[in-house]
Amino acid sequence: MTGQTFKESETVDFVVVGSGAAGGVVARELARGGLTVVVLEQGPRFSLRNFRHDELQDWYLGGITNDVVKNPQTFRDDETKKAELQTFKPALWYGRAVGGASLHYTANFWRFHAIDFNERSVLGPIAGTGFADWPISYADLEPYYTKVEWEIGVSGLAGASPFDPPRTRPYPMPPLPVKSSGVLFERGARKLGLHPIPAPMAINSQTYNGRSGCVHCGFCHGFACEVGAKASTLTTVIPEAEKTGRCEVRPDSYASRIDTNTDGRATGVAYFDRDRRERFQRARAVVVCANGAETPRLLLMSASSRFPHGLANSSGLVGKYLMFNYSGRATGVFEHELNEYKSVQVTRILHDFYDSDPKRGYYGGGGLDARMGPQPTTWAIRTDIDQPSWGSAYKARLKEFPRSMQAATHSTSLALASNNVTLDPELKDAWGLPAIRVTYKDHPDDLATVRFLQDRAAEILDAAGALKVTQGPVAPQTSSVHLLGTCRMGNDPATSVVDKYHRSHDVPNLFLCDGSSLVTSGRGQPTMTIQALAFRAGEHIAQFARRGDI
Amino acid sequence: MDSASLSRRTLLHAIAAAMATAALPFGWADIAQAVQDMRSAAPAGGSTLTFLSAADAADVEAIAAQIIPSDDSPGAREAGVVYFIDRALATFFTQLGADYRAQLTAFQQAFRERHPSAASFAAAASDQQIAYLNIVDRTPFFNTTRVLTLLGMFTRPTYGGNRDGVGWKLIGFEDAHVFQPPFGYYDRDYPGFVVDQLHSK
Repeated sequence: MTGQTFKESETVDFVVVGSGAAGGVVARELARGGLTVVVLEQGPRFSLRNFRHDELQDWYLGGITNDVVKNPQTFRDDETKKAELQTFKPALWYGRAVGGASLHYTANFWRFHAIDFNERSVLGPIAGTGFADWPISYADLEPYYTKVEWEIGVSGLAGASPFDPPRTRPYPMPPLPVKSSGVLFERGARKLGLHPIPAPMAINSQTYNGRSGCVHCGFCHGFACEVGAKASTLTTVIPEAEKTGRCEVRPDSYASRIDTNTDGRATGVAYFDRDRRERFQRARAVVVCANGAETPRLLLMSASSRFPHGLANSSGLVGKYLMFNYSGRATGVFEHELNEYKSVQVTRILHDFYDSDPKRGYYGGGGLDARMGPQPTTWAIRTDIDQPSWGSAYKARLKEFPRSMQAATHSTSLALASNNVTLDPELKDAWGLPAIRVTYKDHPDDLATVRFLQDRAAEILDAAGALKVTQGPVAPQTSSVHLLGTCRMGNDPATSVVDKYHRSHDVPNLFLCDGSSLVTSGRGQPTMTIQALAFRAGEHIAQFARRGDI
Repeated sequence: MDSASLSRRTLLHAIAAAMATAALPFGWADIAQAVQDMRSAAPAGGSTLTFLSAADAADVEAIAAQIIPSDDSPGAREAGVVYFIDRALATFFTQLGADYRAQLTAFQQAFRERHPSAASFAAAASDQQIAYLNIVDRTPFFNTTRVLTLLGMFTRPTYGGNRDGVGWKLIGFEDAHVFQPPFGYYDRDYPGFVVDQLHSK
């Protein structure tokens, strides 16, 4: 759908950079609030008929994500080293199309718990880290979590988990049908006295808001949904924003710089159009929702004589405190077929190990879930510890595919200033802009947490009757799809980039809202929280605009 | 990092190194287009070689056939993996070509030095091949060949491998757009979720 278009010479109320999980929501809230919005999206706009069950295209040729050729990145695990070009998959991997990563995410939509927002106060400081409380509490965000569940569409069962934070409404849809992995996980976990629950998923278990229910094709994780049952912003809030007649989504529009005037206020956004011509869209205010990689990059690329270290960077924290989460796994092989390649990834989760426990001797916690592994090709390429990787024994293992499942782990990452996004001093992208340089090394506590959780996952599979249980390797990560913390929110301009309403401390008409806003990493599955923040930010920013406070 | 990432990194390292010298960046979307073009020009299932010589193809196929051997069920050979690899190197992994060819030559040369009597790797006895691959299975060349083999075994048959879906049949994967529960053995008689009252609030 196209609809309203704006001239670049026209000063619109807002430019929103990015059309993903956050940008789509913010755009809709602003447009519904009576404001004019231009959304700049660096990738193309697809329709559902473009989406396929094609592992080569979507996992190995960057069909709907950033790619290592046009958008190269460099990586190092230590700031003293020279970062190396990443040549297979980007270190920071994100959706590059209208809808962003909400196109290809797995759609696990659990809420953060209250502890995620004030854990620093509860546990005390952790030396050498940027461990901090959020400037908002779970109670502040609760209404917006509910909004996500009802307006984006989440299937789940309220009241199932003894660990769930308080909620004001049930889920709008019942849980998706349980898979064999969910049944086995539930059986094993209950034997151990644990509390498995139906997984909250942003996938329709029935027709909802005019979108189809899930047809159980199995291609969620890494793929875009062909029937629109998985909630992407492409199929939910973006068409709703456009329906207001006040929002234009401009695909193939790659933001390169936010300009500021002599008053230190943002005047609009420079970008390349699909023909690589430089354009400029004027706006009264700018909201950057470009993800935890591209948001800090755009600010750093917008350095000027007035803002020599990058825009909104008086704290020096733009790009710092990058957090990935960690996804570990135990794999179980069972006697009978599970056929996990069918239907959604996850149907049961467990939060018994969510809280950090000082008795373990290190910081960290996480959630577990029952899931299929990846689809055939990636499943075949991946190898657990001590498993054969070729030959007759390997071929025998391949045949275990329909009898296998994973108990996956999702866990905390500590905020470290040494984990960050900077501009590579040498490498340029296909548009001549500085490439992203990533520096990242998991904190030892984060890896200890993964080992602890993988052992628990293995115990559950064992209790469920697995014939064989193996674990994935645990080692420092070199890439992620969870891009968190790089423009953190806080009350103090010296120790944060945006305030609790996502307004940058330094530039009054510049707002940042996406994974970069997170102060702590949660225990994985951040998109639900990113969208709750986006609904809250959109509502407040619209109010600021209407009263002339932008 | 798991071994898959290692393999993939190795594989694409060579690609990007080659790409860095290209005048214009060649994106994956463009590569996908090239695959489409290739598909219409040379339908999948053919046995013509574009990139590899017949002798090189025989060696690559022999390695692939040790990665997924043919026994009571089809392996990499029956899946036409070598034709997928040939097509990949000629189209969407074209920039890998020069490096891969050089690595293959080095592999062949090292094998001949160790087994002067063997005409080629492909012509050697299976146990001799396995013994040799056990020595080199940590090298970039082997890792690249392994990833290409698995891509050729399990990705869509339209890309030239996985002929007649033998890869999917081998592992019991069904390519369909709609499934209905029950999906497997264990969810057939599931009684429904019961909230654990004892522990819930």
